[in-house]
Amino acid sequence: MSAVLHAHPESGPALGVAGPEKSRRVLSEAGMQGRWWRFVLILAITAIVLVPIMVTVVLALTPGPNSTATGLTLENITGVFSKTLAGTWLTNSLITTLSTVIVSVAVAAPAGYVLSRGRSKAVSGYSLLLFVMQSLPIITSVVPLFILFAGLGLVDNLLGLIIIYVGSTMTVATWMMAAYFDSIPVSLEEASWIDGCSVFGSFTKVVLRNSLPGILSTAIFAFLLAWNDYLVAIVFLRSNEIFTLPVGVQSFFQQNLTDWSGVMALAVVMMLPPIIVFATLNKYFSVGGIGGSLAGR
Amino acid sequence: MSSTTAQSGLARARRGLAPGGPGGGSLDHPGNVNRKSKLSSQTRRTFFWLLLPSIVLLILINGYPLIYAGVQATHDGSLIDTGNFVGVDNFATVLSSPAFWKAAQFTLWFTIVGVFGSWLVGLGLALLLRTKIPAGGTFKVLLLLPWVVPIVVSSTAWNWLVATPDSLIPSIFRNLGLGTPLFLADPHLAAVMVMVFKVWVSFPFMMMMISAALASVDTTVYEAASMDGASKWQQFTQITLPMIARSTYISWILMTIFCVNDFPTIYLLTGGGPVDATTSLVVLAYRSVFQDFQTGTGVAIAFLMTLTLVLVSVFLYRQIRKSSVE
Repeated sequence: MSAVLHAHPESGPALGVAGPEKSRRVLSEAGMQGRWWRFVLILAITAIVLVPIMVTVVLALTPGPNSTATGLTLENITGVFSKTLAGTWLTNSLITTLSTVIVSVAVAAPAGYVLSRGRSKAVSGYSLLLFVMQSLPIITSVVPLFILFAGLGLVDNLLGLIIIYVGSTMTVATWMMAAYFDSIPVSLEEASWIDGCSVFGSFTKVVLRNSLPGILSTAIFAFLLAWNDYLVAIVFLRSNEIFTLPVGVQSFFQQNLTDWSGVMALAVVMMLPPIIVFATLNKYFSVGGIGGSLAGR
Repeated sequence: MSSTTAQSGLARARRGLAPGGPGGGSLDHPGNVNRKSKLSSQTRRTFFWLLLPSIVLLILINGYPLIYAGVQATHDGSLIDTGNFVGVDNFATVLSSPAFWKAAQFTLWFTIVGVFGSWLVGLGLALLLRTKIPAGGTFKVLLLLPWVVPIVVSSTAWNWLVATPDSLIPSIFRNLGLGTPLFLADPHLAAVMVMVFKVWVSFPFMMMMISAALASVDTTVYEAASMDGASKWQQFTQITLPMIARSTYISWILMTIFCVNDFPTIYLLTGGGPVDATTSLVVLAYRSVFQDFQTGTGVAIAFLMTLTLVLVSVFLYRQIRKSSVE
């Protein structure tokens, strides 16, 4: 909080109102000093905040106790792929997550469109229902779904996991899509209707075609949720070769409590995909949309 | 649908869709004056089909389990057997057990610290990052990492940092002559540790929400205010805070839901221990079902939590809607 109080008094716009030339120069020097002071402050905060992540990377790249390598090495990471099922877990995680993302967006986009354009009691009632459903603890539905899925052969099965992930991402995904559609002018659709387009046609040809940032933002959200889930995965996955990475990493950790280089190597394998996704697509991602859609309807 | 003529399409636009969403742009058709006009039946049908997959999934994956959970909460069954109807016995057992109230108390503290701790840190960093800083954009992305990195990974790293007396952080304390704190073995310290970990995981979310809200604040307001002699603190409390009030409330609500429902942050760091000091309601429910095989009690705990959350969230949802209609 002290960061707020210190940083704020120096913040930008007020400096611009200085009158005479001389005092403006003095002020901008003070401004420059403030900039560097804030740079050092944020650098220190970021460094402290990232300690756990840096520790993970450093330990993963440091040669283990039985190693002959010196300096930094990738042998821990290649090692976990040969001594554990890391490759299988990674594949399982990718299959589960990507399927969740695709289905989730495919369900949420049309629903979000209706939430954005439809203005009826039924539609706003459905929006409220989505809100209530997303606030339910997943533990409530895990037990009934476990019993249901056991009968259907969906326990210890990636398909079962995908179904649950879609269920838990689709509510927020629907709002995010709705919030994005709100920003697309209806006049675009009107123009297409004049050209003889149906409502469905204008949704797919006009609205969806202009919604790439919204779709990517929703996809990133679903990706993070599915990739990072632990609770559903430990309940539903039983056998080693069906594990997704969270369960795999955790089981390896519990069985090899002192093999930190192995644990951290697995951890790095697990955190790379979300970091890559976020680093490349982060300009599209906005959680502001979640809030906006919540308040908007 | 394919036979729709331009005429009827336009008519449908006027009657039905044109009132549009809040961002739908201003519509100057005289036909749109009546914002409550009914949707045409064809548009309604399209809307229904577009919504159908969502409705089906919501009923199957979210609705059905909820109802079934209600059934289980009133039975003494296990994971493989529904058991006999026992009425409200499970609820009575739960409500009279000290473990439940202890977990409820921990959940409350965890939520309060989680929500306001991450909000304060997120607000501070969002305000700092709003100013001109060299490489500001890079910091913004780097600071999101705690939220992006899977909890399984970060909890492992935190374990390495604090778990044993020989871990890095306790060693630093010892070398500074501050004793050797047992961060995860001492009940009080473990509770604090879990909350600090939660704030560490959640502040980026708050930072993003607040940054988005701050971006829409018109900076000329500050110039006017400082001309009028308002101090920086006054500008903060009387301009900045009110401007971000709506997204602040929303972020509090979402974070409350995230904290109450949180499982991995707690379970992976401490497993709910030591001596149940960090057992939240979700962890308690999980244990009842999957370790003690008391499905009825576990679901009853989850159900009580759910009921509270639903009531709270419907109330708050109405509040937000009211405040945004103004």
